[in-house]
Amino acid sequence: MAYAYLFKYIIIGDTGVGKSCLLLQFTDKRFQPVHDLTIGVEFGARMITIDGKQIKLQIWDTAGQESFRSITRSYYRGAAGALLVYDITRRDTFNHLTTWLEDARQHSNSNMVIMLIGNKSDLESRREVKKEEGEAFAREHGLIFMETSAKTASNVEEAFINTAKEIYEKIQEGVFDINNEANGIKIGPQHAATNSTMGGSQGGQQAGGGCC
Amino acid sequence: MFGRSRSWVGGQGKSKNIHSLDHLKYMYHVLTKNTTVTDHNRNLLVETIRSITEILIWGDQNDSSVFDFFLEKNMFAFFLNILRQKSGRYVCVQLLQTLNILFENISHETSLYYLLSNNHVNSIIVHKFDFSDEEIMAYYISFLKTLSLKLNNHTVHFFYNEHTNDFALYTEAIKFFNHPESMVRIAVRTITLNVYKVDNQHMLHYIRDKTAVPYFSNLVWFIGSHVIELDKCVQTDEEHKNRGKLSDLVAEHLDHLHYLNDILIINCEFLSEVLTDHLLNRLFLPLYVFSLVSQEQSEDRKINPQVSLYLLSQVFLIIHYQPLVHSLADVILNGDLSVFTVQTEQSAHKSLSNAGVRRFTKPSESLERSLEMSRQRGRKRAQKRPNYKNVGEEEEEERGSEEGPEEEKEKAKGTEASSKASRTSGDTEEIEMVVMEKCRVSDVSTLTEQNITDEEKSAAAARSEGQKSRPFLDMFYNALDCDTEDYQALFVLCLLYAVSHSKGINPELLERIQLPVPNQDRNSYSQVLVERVIRIMNQAAQPDGKVRLATLELSCLLLKQSVLSGSQCIIKDIHLACLEGAREESLHLLRRFYKGEEIFLDMFEDEYRSMMNKPLNVEYLMMDASILLPPTGTPLTGIDFVKRLPCGDVERTRRAIRVFFMLRSLSLQLQGEPETQLPLTRPEDLIKTDDVLDLNNSDLIACMVVSKDGVQAQRFLAVDVYQMSLVEPDSKRLGWGVVKFAGLLQDMQVSGVEDDSRALNIIIHKPTSNPHAKPVPILQANFIFADHIRCIIAKQRLAKGRIQARRMKMQRIAALLDLPVQPSTEVLGFSQPSVTSSLPFRFYDQSRRGPAFASVDKVPGFAVAHVAQHNPTSTSFTSPPSSGPTGPCDFVTSSSASTHTVTQSQTGLSLAPSLTPTPQPTISLLSNNDAETLSVDSLTLLPPASPPRLRSFSTQSSVQDADEIICAGQTEDDCMVAVDAQSQDDRKDIPVIPEEDEASPESGHLLSEETEDLTKAQREVPMTQPETDSAGVTTDQEDNPDLEEETAID
Repeated sequence: MAYAYLFKYIIIGDTGVGKSCLLLQFTDKRFQPVHDLTIGVEFGARMITIDGKQIKLQIWDTAGQESFRSITRSYYRGAAGALLVYDITRRDTFNHLTTWLEDARQHSNSNMVIMLIGNKSDLESRREVKKEEGEAFAREHGLIFMETSAKTASNVEEAFINTAKEIYEKIQEGVFDINNEANGIKIGPQHAATNSTMGGSQGGQQAGGGCC
Repeated sequence: MFGRSRSWVGGQGKSKNIHSLDHLKYMYHVLTKNTTVTDHNRNLLVETIRSITEILIWGDQNDSSVFDFFLEKNMFAFFLNILRQKSGRYVCVQLLQTLNILFENISHETSLYYLLSNNHVNSIIVHKFDFSDEEIMAYYISFLKTLSLKLNNHTVHFFYNEHTNDFALYTEAIKFFNHPESMVRIAVRTITLNVYKVDNQHMLHYIRDKTAVPYFSNLVWFIGSHVIELDKCVQTDEEHKNRGKLSDLVAEHLDHLHYLNDILIINCEFLSEVLTDHLLNRLFLPLYVFSLVSQEQSEDRKINPQVSLYLLSQVFLIIHYQPLVHSLADVILNGDLSVFTVQTEQSAHKSLSNAGVRRFTKPSESLERSLEMSRQRGRKRAQKRPNYKNVGEEEEEERGSEEGPEEEKEKAKGTEASSKASRTSGDTEEIEMVVMEKCRVSDVSTLTEQNITDEEKSAAAARSEGQKSRPFLDMFYNALDCDTEDYQALFVLCLLYAVSHSKGINPELLERIQLPVPNQDRNSYSQVLVERVIRIMNQAAQPDGKVRLATLELSCLLLKQSVLSGSQCIIKDIHLACLEGAREESLHLLRRFYKGEEIFLDMFEDEYRSMMNKPLNVEYLMMDASILLPPTGTPLTGIDFVKRLPCGDVERTRRAIRVFFMLRSLSLQLQGEPETQLPLTRPEDLIKTDDVLDLNNSDLIACMVVSKDGVQAQRFLAVDVYQMSLVEPDSKRLGWGVVKFAGLLQDMQVSGVEDDSRALNIIIHKPTSNPHAKPVPILQANFIFADHIRCIIAKQRLAKGRIQARRMKMQRIAALLDLPVQPSTEVLGFSQPSVTSSLPFRFYDQSRRGPAFASVDKVPGFAVAHVAQHNPTSTSFTSPPSSGPTGPCDFVTSSSASTHTVTQSQTGLSLAPSLTPTPQPTISLLSNNDAETLSVDSLTLLPPASPPRLRSFSTQSSVQDADEIICAGQTEDDCMVAVDAQSQDDRKDIPVIPEEDEASPESGHLLSEETEDLTKAQREVPMTQPETDSAGVTTDQEDNPDLEEETAID
């Protein structure tokens, strides 16, 4: 599939804040959220359009890998955007944001766009963190902020797409070095329009199997 | 991508519950009807697979019968069947995503067992997908990663087959260890770590015996290739153009080191052993360490010494695994070139394959091929000889030799591991190649080989003798020479720092060569190191020194580490003297830059804050790629100030300040003396919000404070020595006030408000330690006074307070630098801190906490000050506007209570020289000065400080001190005469002024005038005392034309 840019995202935040659900909600709408089913995914890709350009988002969830310093470090470094998620019904997940942010800032490239997300906004009755607090935290640390619900799909699109817009703007401003893939941005294959579904040429050093 | 096909099945499913066993049965029916993938049923199949996943997860969470059905009908087989048909990318991706979701969301262990039970998953793992498609690749590796996260001692059996020696999940994953896509590489690393973490001996033995050598040797080669690329990037750099790429390569190297460290801290002993062997003998020693000493022409040298020092520092900062770092440190600190040649001899009577051990060479075959071969061999041998038994035997052998010397043990390990390597790979071709490589090495080093090996033999016998040749250590010490640049010196310091802080290195090794071990008692230190380090400090203090601030800071750290033993300092007198010499040099250097400019004070305090707030973090320093390029001066590179040389006068000044601070603090610490003069204002001496102050006798101006966001508050404005504060009356005690805001006068901006003559706009910025950061205002408000007279008085007070506060601090700096202070200062008893170094603060404390709050009005007129102070009943206090010319009360407060008689206060004044530092000079400084521009240049300008003359100054000042002491006991007139003569002398002593600054002659003139004014004022004290404030105003007007002007306008 042809795209102008590929942006790599990571999702970070405490366990149980709904990171993988957000990701699944964004990448595959066919999984309709219902009350007796919690479902998520650790990796997903989706095409969006910004400014008339096809942009592919590749999102990697880092859950379960926190115990290895090398892994989190590398993930941060390879991403152009990060969604920092907390759960509005659990104060402690909000309190840990500083630690997450410090980690992110330390390991990521300085241009990485970070979006703060207060998830589970559908659970208004159990809310422990006010929206204003999230806004204040975001303002203080220069993040974009949004409250979302993976259950109702509210703001999920916006969260991912606004982050992409911010990255896109930075590219336009020339802040990102797009020729450096270490930044988590990749320029689309120039003649990608021709290969539709079949991976045409056998590139790279992998001995690709011939199937598919 | 998936969004479009909201589907078929959904349509039918809507009528009933999608999440039910019935629906799964229906899905099964769909699958049986569509066993062949065609263009027509592709979408249907994709949606069916997706729905099945959804039901399975729902079943896992709600209804277990769903799983029974899934297994009973062997529905996984349908998936495989679909996959095996060349069904195209769309279906592939959907299947992989489905599997991802499935395995990730299964929460019940039993459900997981069901899914894994009939080996279908392994068939999917080994399926040859089209990995050139980046999306398939990403989904595939995510699938493996998801599976690896499910690994534990039970589930591992579904993936690792002991009998066939298959572990597809692991072996398939590591084939992508050098994939160009970073996210894929990261996933591979995650998978390997998840595998190593599982505590299953059989599986781990399999990993060690069948895969460790191929994987680690390829990994090590991969890392090494990056290092060579990194080195090339440094070599070919022109004008710092490669910095972007370089920083990526450095980050990549760090990633690798962290990954290796993560493997090592899992602490799976026999895996770590193989890894250590490979790292040490195929990467760190032959590539990094060897490059330290090899000749430039030698083709053996792969990378530059700078690069290798830098990378080795990173190794020691990150990896703490004892067997690895200790052996590495032992070679570096204690070893010689024989580590590269001695192997030759040993190998002669051991195995041939050993020869190439310490070479950085490309693995003879690709990882994939090695894995393939070992798998086939494994199959053949499996029945005969289970591998793990071999391993057990070897371990016993090792235990036997444990008593031997450290180095030999290491070699033994190396030998063993490599012979294992040869056993497993068993490739004659490879061995031959290695032998050829080896021959080349010995050719190159034949010249030195003989000597070295001899020496090595004797050294091995008596290791503790200091005569052993240590080429690497020698190289370090030589590199510490910063005469022309500190390029290598910085890295050597970092490396020594890292080695000495490494948890994995036995302290005995460091002690043997007297390297500093932090927090250890000792009674000797390495003289060579200390001398070199002090030399760096000396060079840093030279005007054109090529030592960067980071280098200096590290030198200070290492010196402290070397000579501080517990709370004791064991530095030898001679070294201390050298250090004091360096400190003295830094003092002279800073004197050259000392200027009366406002900005100097700001820089001075700013540098102090930066130094205190941001101590050097060596780990962060060694993460910065920019220091890999030759040191540069220009800030245009974006390199942090401490990591480059200064550019331009301002930066040279900043650097001189910083060097001075560092050496001063070091010198004080080594001599066990506390710092009493820095920072110029200690936070604990300042008025803080919510302090309650006695404001009786203080000048207060009522005003309405309107902050930026429109909040209004009625407050009283009071001006202290360093601060202005806004208070509100204390409800408990009459005449006391609670501080609602306090800000430093020096950081204040006052301006009029255009259409309101009663109002002032006041901004106070927060002192910042980052010169590039936007200043943050801590107060930004309009102050509205009762009328414009009060407004003008407030403005004058603040403006003068600001100047005075800055002046006082400038004089503190001058005193710190042993520079002479103003003549007029001497008159009024500004004593040099060198005489009474800690007094300024004590004095200030008194003034602040004393009974009378010192609201300092910066208007000159000492006499009037006394009037005001000693007539508490005077109307001046009730009517602030007329009390303008109140003297610097802080001084008075400290020396005398308000009830003192005139005589008493005189005595207080005479005693003051020894007690009071600062307030007095301001009187003279302020007079005749333009209050509007707040310029301090002309008055604080000092003669250029050439050391000899400075010395004469200081002797003079000590004479002055003596004078003052005499003054104390004598009459005022005598004192005045002495002072006058003094100021005359001083003026004579400023010959260079005309060249220095045009304003200077004038200022010299002004100084004398001031002195006269002041002395006049002093004489007037007794007379003015009974008078009212009107007299005070008059005096003031005489003293200060500017003020007169303003008053006239009023």
